[in-house]
Amino acid sequence: MAIYKRGYRTYSGPLTRERWRFLVLTRYAWRTIFQSRLLTAFFVFSFFYPLGALLAIYLNGNATILSLLHQSSELLVVGNKFFSVFIAVQGTFAFFIAAFIGPGLVAPDLANGALPLYLGRPFSRADYVLGKMMVLFGLLSFVTWLPGLLLFAAQAGVAGHGWIWDNLWLARAIFLGSLIWILILSLLALALSAWVKWKVAAAALMLGIFFLGAGFGQAINLILRTKQGTLTDIGNLMRVVWHDLFRIERHAFDFPPTEAWIMLILICCGCLALLAKKLRPHEVVR
Amino acid sequence: MTDNASYSRRISFDDVSKFYGDVLGVNRVTLSIPPGITSLVGPNGSGKTTLMNLMTGLIRPTRGSVRVFGISSSDPERFFREVGYCTQFDTFPRGMTGYQFVYSFLRLYGCTALEADELTWRSIERVNLVEAAHRKIAAYSKGMRQRIKLAQATCHGPSVLVLDEPLNGLDPLVRAETIALFKVLAEDGMHVILSSHVLHEVDAISDQVIMLSNGYVVAEGQIRSVRSEIREHPMQIVVRCRKPAEVAAKLFEQEQVVEARVHGDGRGLLVKTRDADSFYRLLNKIALNGVGIEAVAPADDDANSVYEYLIGSEETAR
Repeated sequence: MAIYKRGYRTYSGPLTRERWRFLVLTRYAWRTIFQSRLLTAFFVFSFFYPLGALLAIYLNGNATILSLLHQSSELLVVGNKFFSVFIAVQGTFAFFIAAFIGPGLVAPDLANGALPLYLGRPFSRADYVLGKMMVLFGLLSFVTWLPGLLLFAAQAGVAGHGWIWDNLWLARAIFLGSLIWILILSLLALALSAWVKWKVAAAALMLGIFFLGAGFGQAINLILRTKQGTLTDIGNLMRVVWHDLFRIERHAFDFPPTEAWIMLILICCGCLALLAKKLRPHEVVR
Repeated sequence: MTDNASYSRRISFDDVSKFYGDVLGVNRVTLSIPPGITSLVGPNGSGKTTLMNLMTGLIRPTRGSVRVFGISSSDPERFFREVGYCTQFDTFPRGMTGYQFVYSFLRLYGCTALEADELTWRSIERVNLVEAAHRKIAAYSKGMRQRIKLAQATCHGPSVLVLDEPLNGLDPLVRAETIALFKVLAEDGMHVILSSHVLHEVDAISDQVIMLSNGYVVAEGQIRSVRSEIREHPMQIVVRCRKPAEVAAKLFEQEQVVEARVHGDGRGLLVKTRDADSFYRLLNKIALNGVGIEAVAPADDDANSVYEYLIGSEETAR
């Protein structure tokens, strides 16, 4: 046996901090995402509603304009319903963005068998998922809670000092409601993408889960004369949670928020289990 | 290098088993792999890839322990400094150029931007791909892809390079270049572990082989040592000489010689013997007695024959 003399040294230079290494994946993904003109256009379009809402807040708080319009009081009440509608609208944009981007984050890596490359480094599966999730978290934040909090700040500015302290819970609702929605969308997109390993199918599946899930839930409700079927409708689950967070009165046919919370937690757990099962670092053993 | 230091620079498998549910990957593997080029040889499903995945920390053993220079994969920061893996398949994240491919994985490894850039160019230079570095990998030829994978696996200067079927699909010229590169890396002191189906190349490349069948290690070591251990198949030796019949008659005086077949051209013979050492001693005596012996060469101490003796029969039985 030839025992060779070592003629080189292993890299011993400084390493970046392990905790933030997942952001390498996020940065690379962001660079490629906006190469799609369709997505860029849609992303820009998703800011129209917040801009409109900002304009409405400004007009609503401007006494000169109100007097020009012969209005003695505010045109609209900027409160829980206003922000609840805002989150619902922006949440819809967020859903389509997640359905567009999410499936392309994991499926190509799995289809190309690239996972051993990532995981053959001091980089765990959790880092991988976190890195990919941060791509969606960043983008969807720009569509949901960031403009939401901006509107909240604008209204606080227009309405005066007292309003912000009386309505601080609304800021929490905007942030928390958006965060939960982003989490659900991200996990679903990644899990479905990992499951089918084909981004077109994963995107279709994601749309299917939301739209067919709603229809399926209604069918169960009709056949079994219950309202529990709606628990399969993720959009409706979120609506109940948002209503709970924004303190909006429940409809008679709504199920209790606790059930919606439990269902959403179960969905998250299911997605994580699917990701844990599918994101295997080893190649197919032949 | 002292014995202790030499031993600490080994890849060790200690009674390792890996099961995928009910399916056996490898079973009860105990190995200690020294530096140099080691080839993993075995039929499909014999456990080669599992063994490689275990030594690269991609999977954990169901039982036993795997250590690279005494480091377990549960200490990833240290473990992955030592290991580089070049996978069997073309595993490239889509849309990347060769440079981006190597650079991005160095960033994941934890290198700073400046260091990653420097190391990327160094490894790309080593595999002779500088000119193509900024072209998309999708436009690379098979040989170029193989080389950029090698660059990626060696960019952080690992001490152990694991290559799964690295010669698959390469044309003869690129094959020769790639083999030369492996040899350079091994001469630099790297553990180069590779799997291959091409047995005559295994012979040419390897310092030692590990033969696997059905998840078990059936042989390990230098080919000649392994061959000499296979007692049930007599060693075959070719002797080229002017008087083969005379030589054959003298050889049959020895008990260990079980067969001698004179070549059709009458200028040599194939001898089968159970004791190669005694045979060579006797042949020396014959040569000293004036019988012209032109050449002597073993006929079946190559990887192909050893594979056939150890695994071929099992495959046939299955």
